[in-house]
Amino acid sequence: MRLFDHKNRRAEDAVTDAVRNLGVPESELFEFANSDPDLAEKTGFSQYSYWGSTLSVFLKNRGAVALLLVLVILVAFTFIQPLLPGQYEATRIINHPITGMQMSNVQPSLSSVVRTAPAGTKLAITPWENEEWAAVSNVVTTIRARSEFSVTGYLGEWVEASFNGQTGYVRNDFTTNLKLPDNPEKVPYSSRANFPVQLFLSPEDLTYQGDELFIKKDALEIGKDGITAELATEAELRILPTEAPFLFGTNIAGQDLWSMVWSGTRTSLFIGFVVALAEAAVGIFVGVVWGYIRRLDRIMTEIYNVINNIPTTIVLILVAYILRPGISSLIFAMSITGWVGMARFIRNQIVIIRDRDYNLASRCLGTGTFRIITRNLLPYLVSVIMLRMALAVPGAIGSEVFITYIGLGLPVSIPSLGNLITVGRKLVSTSQSYQLIFPTIVLSIVTVSFYIIGNAFADSADPRNHL
Amino acid sequence: MVKYILKRIGASLFTLIIILSVVFILLRQMPIEGYFDNFDKLDQAVIDARLHQMGLKAPILQQMLRFFTGLLHGDLGISARYSVGAPIADIIAQKAPLSIQMGVLSMALAIALGIPLGGAMARSKSKFWDRFGTAFIVFVNAIPAAVYYIYIQSYGSNALGISMLFDRSRAISWVLPVFSMSLGNIAYYAMWLRRYMLDELNKDYVQLARAKGVASRNITMGHVFRNAFVPMIQYIPTSLLYTVGGSIYIESLYSIPGMGGLLVDVISRQDNPMVQAIVMIYSCVGIVGMLLGDILMVFLDPRITFAKKEGVR
Repeated sequence: MRLFDHKNRRAEDAVTDAVRNLGVPESELFEFANSDPDLAEKTGFSQYSYWGSTLSVFLKNRGAVALLLVLVILVAFTFIQPLLPGQYEATRIINHPITGMQMSNVQPSLSSVVRTAPAGTKLAITPWENEEWAAVSNVVTTIRARSEFSVTGYLGEWVEASFNGQTGYVRNDFTTNLKLPDNPEKVPYSSRANFPVQLFLSPEDLTYQGDELFIKKDALEIGKDGITAELATEAELRILPTEAPFLFGTNIAGQDLWSMVWSGTRTSLFIGFVVALAEAAVGIFVGVVWGYIRRLDRIMTEIYNVINNIPTTIVLILVAYILRPGISSLIFAMSITGWVGMARFIRNQIVIIRDRDYNLASRCLGTGTFRIITRNLLPYLVSVIMLRMALAVPGAIGSEVFITYIGLGLPVSIPSLGNLITVGRKLVSTSQSYQLIFPTIVLSIVTVSFYIIGNAFADSADPRNHL
Repeated sequence: MVKYILKRIGASLFTLIIILSVVFILLRQMPIEGYFDNFDKLDQAVIDARLHQMGLKAPILQQMLRFFTGLLHGDLGISARYSVGAPIADIIAQKAPLSIQMGVLSMALAIALGIPLGGAMARSKSKFWDRFGTAFIVFVNAIPAAVYYIYIQSYGSNALGISMLFDRSRAISWVLPVFSMSLGNIAYYAMWLRRYMLDELNKDYVQLARAKGVASRNITMGHVFRNAFVPMIQYIPTSLLYTVGGSIYIESLYSIPGMGGLLVDVISRQDNPMVQAIVMIYSCVGIVGMLLGDILMVFLDPRITFAKKEGVR
């Protein structure tokens, strides 16, 4: 003690000496600080705003922002697409105007132009009533199966032939399988095919799988007979009398895959959003009741244990099996399984924060239960609720694909991503694999975006990441 | 501990009875076509007689009692459409072993690949393995399994030069189904092990070990991994459920003659008794999985006492 006193006194003396040595009177060393309301405000007020910080942290995540942009554009496009000019209706079966056959499995293409024919190309016109378009091909006539015709010249893949006084060219490949002699170049001789073959005006195929192509009437110079024509200039031969292309091709029923994909994305996203909302609504309600009302905790926990023990896949299958397939029953089946996880999580969080001091204080001041829940408790859980909702959307889309796959999904008359993928699945190793690839690309973009955005948002909504 | 396990088994049994009853009652609401293989050609009188014979006209409680009695004798009912008149228990006894073999193999593969991946991710934070693993996890979790299963089947069988369909006798045709089935679980194990290991790495005892000069390899293997692995046990039941879900898909995709493919098959044929039996079996698998996970936890981590924890929760 004495030692300490001694040291203290020595320090005081040192300070007094130092001040004296400065040569300033002691009264001028300090001045009174007057109370300044502005300064007081400065420390009392914080610039921090929860949502502002959440947004700024989220915007720093470039990848997530880019995906959000992609997703917004994509969702908007599913609504804009039917309004664009030159779109086919999603469920419309497109027929060939002349033959009435379905335009099935047309390969994807950026325009409806099949061929560009040079000036001078001779074409045959099929009579067809239309103001703007003419149905043309370069087919003179069709030779019936097993009919004899004489070959007058051999060109390899084509032969010159005459039939019933008409001359032209016949294709000579595995599709026609012409009967030719040992030395096919020694003409003329007679030949025949096991299938109907077409006699073309020139050694090229200006048809769509044997059917007529379409051309603008003003590009044609129609001959005197009315059934033959010659091209004055270079002209485009189109698959259908329209400029609208099959961007994603068509399916086997002759429906435009491009509009099917967007319509399907709309359906799937709708299902996803409704399921996410239902999950959030039921999950939050049950979770709050479960967590806040102590007496219910025990029985609710028991019920939870029972429900949680059933594989969700099985519940999904069972409900979808019992209900009739349709959008509403699908949504119901998915919502019935999804809310459990959300409710459990909300309950755990509420149990943790319900008895914190600020809530006790709030309750002592007479705040109503509803206000405590909505103002004091739920704002803490926003990030988690948003995350779960964001993940519920791809989850619901995946479930829809699964349910459709096992044969309990939407009827084919309502296009959905699940429908399209289930149909495309069987074509994966054929030339029609585009019918699987396009829906899966769109689906993957949607689900991956939701997943990454949801996680990025949850990270940025966590106050620990706010600096 | 014995008391806890017994209690847990009792609770599971209780849950099981509730679930079976609910499934039973729900499936009674199905249209009666699902009980006949030639419904359209039958007379109303014949239908009534057959329904009566099957006991479907009795009050629901009596039906349920009969069903549970049958269940205790190993009788699951009789198939109505899939294989007319055959006992369902026999059909399933034929199909189950293959499904079980596949499920076990895929779980083993998932642990063998997922755990090292998670460990590698935790050790190389934001280096190659972490990035690769994160991309893999996002891919598996975000894209619906149906989609990548189809591509794995198509491109995988092309690359291996085998048929797209399953051939039990050829070992190589097991590769793709088992691998696809384990993908979800690989991601799941890797994700959680990484998180737990990162949590452990920040704890004081790791700092102390590092300060003492223990090699970082020994720290990860000897301390961090051992502690991080315990909560992983809890995910075994969930991953069992994943396997169940995956098997439904994969077995029908590869035409594997197992239970999952069977379920899809009987759903499309609307065979009510068979759907009921298989749904019930899968629910049992879920419950047994949960039970096993909890019991394993008690054995592996002596610090955990469930009996107490339940009261506090």
